[in-house]
Amino acid sequence: MSDPMTPTPAPGHDHHGLRRQLNLAIPADAEHIGDATDAVLACLASLNVEEEKSMAIGLAVQEALANAVTHGCQNDASKTIQCEVSADEQGHVLIVVADPGPGFDYSAPPKPVVQDVYNDHGRGVFLIRQLMDEVSFEHGGSVIQMWKY
Amino acid sequence: MDINMQRRSQVEIIQLKGPLRMGAAVNEFRQALDNSLSSGDTRIVLDLAEVPMIDSSGIGVLMKSLASARQRGGNIKLVNPSKFAVQTLRMVGLLNLFEVFTDADAAVASFA
Repeated sequence: MSDPMTPTPAPGHDHHGLRRQLNLAIPADAEHIGDATDAVLACLASLNVEEEKSMAIGLAVQEALANAVTHGCQNDASKTIQCEVSADEQGHVLIVVADPGPGFDYSAPPKPVVQDVYNDHGRGVFLIRQLMDEVSFEHGGSVIQMWKY
Repeated sequence: MDINMQRRSQVEIIQLKGPLRMGAAVNEFRQALDNSLSSGDTRIVLDLAEVPMIDSSGIGVLMKSLASARQRGGNIKLVNPSKFAVQTLRMVGLLNLFEVFTDADAAVASFA
């Protein structure tokens, strides 16, 4: 089995000089998600990523981690989620979030967000797709790769 | 997350400070809204000036509470949401469900 954290090149883009900038191992506990997102935002700030782009990436990371905790790990804090941030020489940012779960069906309709506007869940993956430029799910949905150009 | 609550002219003003996202922040936010709604305070002004980010779990609590408030004849109105919070609510098609104000006084007065 291939390493789930090995990124698949996004089609149509030459990611010359892609380098890993941050590698986090996070307990699958909702209380740790915010700190992990803040660590990603700090990493992006150190790379001089502009604020608007950084906020979009940060929220996408937040949503991906929330899905990993809730769906991938069933809120089992003994499990670990991996989150990697990489950037290439053009400033393209790659986020990979992997959980040890069996995967999740992310092929569900990307739109509408939810049928009932008052529903209290069901917007995470939609948001990720809106916030990032390329999104792919690997290993049955237990790994998400997200590119922001 | 810091949550500051005050009452003015029978309107509950809830001021949030910090990212509204899954974990303690959303749990505290849910608790604050549940407390207000269960004690009959259904006219709510939510000051989001110092909330840089709202995630889908925060949006979920907001929408569930909005439904609850409206079912009881009240409403939730927003004050000064950050640019990114506005973008996020627009992205999920929910911004147009809220009245948005630039200051809390105007939001409170709109309930009169």
